[in-house]
Formats: sequence, C-alpha cells, structure tokens
Amino acid sequence: MAEPARAEAASFESLLSPILGSAYGYALSLTGVAADAEDLLQEAALLAFRAFDSFHPGTSFKAWFYKILTNRHFERFRRKRRRPETVELDDVAELYLYRRTAEAGLHELTDDPARLLMSKLGAEQVLAAIGALPEEYRAVARLHLVDELEYPEIAGVLGCPLGTVRSRLHRGRRMLQKALWHVAREAGVVRALAPATELTG
Amino acid sequence: MSAPTRYTCEDLFRRLDRFLDRALEPEEERLVREHLESCAACAGEYRFEETLLSEVREKLARIQAPSDLMGRISAALAADGRREDDG
Repeated sequence: MAEPARAEAASFESLLSPILGSAYGYALSLTGVAADAEDLLQEAALLAFRAFDSFHPGTSFKAWFYKILTNRHFERFRRKRRRPETVELDDVAELYLYRRTAEAGLHELTDDPARLLMSKLGAEQVLAAIGALPEEYRAVARLHLVDELEYPEIAGVLGCPLGTVRSRLHRGRRMLQKALWHVAREAGVVRALAPATELTG
Repeated sequence: MSAPTRYTCEDLFRRLDRFLDRALEPEEERLVREHLESCAACAGEYRFEETLLSEVREKLARIQAPSDLMGRISAALAADGRREDDG
C-alpha cells in the first residue's frame, strides 16, 4: 500500500475502531448469526473505506458507517431466504409485558417485576427476541435502544421518514415485549418464578 | 380549547411512548412528571417500561465483537489497497 493510502487507512481505522463493538452488535441484530455479522461488518468496512472521500469530518462517522452497513445488509438479505418469524407479533397491545407479568403473579413477588424477569434472561435470549422482530423493526429497536441514535439519525441510517421511525420504534417495542415473553416462557423462566399461576397469551 | 393544567391517566397513557423516548415538548413532559408523582398506578407502569428498556439495553450492550475482528478488517483494507496499486 502506498504511503498516502496507508495514512488514509490509519485515519479510517482510527474512526472505525471505537465504534466496532457497537457496529458488530448492530450487525448481529440484523443478521442473527455471528459469522454473517462478521462478514457483513468486513464488507461494510471495505465499502466504507473505498467511499471514505464522501465522509465529511466533523459529522457522525457512526451514522455514516451504519448507513453503509445497513444498505449492504439489505443487499445481502434480498438474496437470502427470509428468516421465519417464530412468534405472531401483529397487534400487540400496549403494556403487554406489564400485564403478562402481573397475570403471572410476578408483581406480588417483587416491586421490580421487570428487573426480576430480565435477571433470568441472558444476552443471547434478548438477542433472540430481537431476532424475532420483522427486519424493519429490528433495526430501529437496536439503533434507538443501544446505539442511542435520535429519530433523525435513525431516519438517515435507514433511509425512511421520521414518522416511520417513530411508529416502528413504538410498535417494535410492543412486539419486542411479546417476543421476550415468548422467550421467557420457552426457557421455563416464568414457570420457575410463578409455578402456581395459570398463564394466558 | 385551552391547554390542560393537569394530565389524566388517559393523557399520560397516550404520551407514554414519546415520554420514554424523551421526545415530548417541555410543557408536556412537565405535566407527565407531575402526574407520575401523584398516580401510583401510572408510576408503576412507567417504571416497568423504563426498567425493561434499560435491562434490554444493558444486555445487548454486553455483546462484544470478536477480539481479532479489527485486525482482520485492517488486513482486508491493506489487501484492497495493494490490489488497487497493482491494478
């Protein structure tokens, strides 16, 4: 690699390195498979490096890189078979998990039932719940929850209107609650916490 | 119609998502917080939703990239640079 190109690579890597962990987590939320997430991240890094001239210093490198990564994922995803959704996630009511945990008696066990339930779930199980969401909701949930991007940044990364980001975030949160409940029940967590309660939904 | 001076539970319920997102106007946020201070039921629901989001965030943030990933990316960028030099 010629000297100017090496310097440019070093500059690019100095921006990528601090966000690599969160970018990997985002890629994993999108793909659901560690090997695919690594491939996606490497491909996105290469594409981003080749387009480095289009990045404006002083703006958010993270948002710029995430947009490239997201576009690359959508290009790859169209060529792959759609992942089957294991949980019916249409029309999930507000406060879904609050009501399910109350019905299961968890609110009588503790004054912090959300923390109690989540203490029994690992990162992989939460990732599985995210993975059950339709793709467009998965990305918004991750970008807001973990990467803490604001609505306009998310709209820029995903290439969709602000109103769409807001509605997907809110609906996606309700779907995530149902998916978490499904994961918790499948793992026997709810039965272990409140064995005598008859559960619905 | 004049602006409300206090929120009902219904008013809060309709704004809960945006309150969780910190996306309310300052006056709306003030009225929401005022209602939460006086309504145990709404406060319990809000606390549940907020805790759930915090716990999900914390668990997802634990996921780490493989330790050699940056090295592999650096190598791929270097190889790409050499290909451009040769090509």
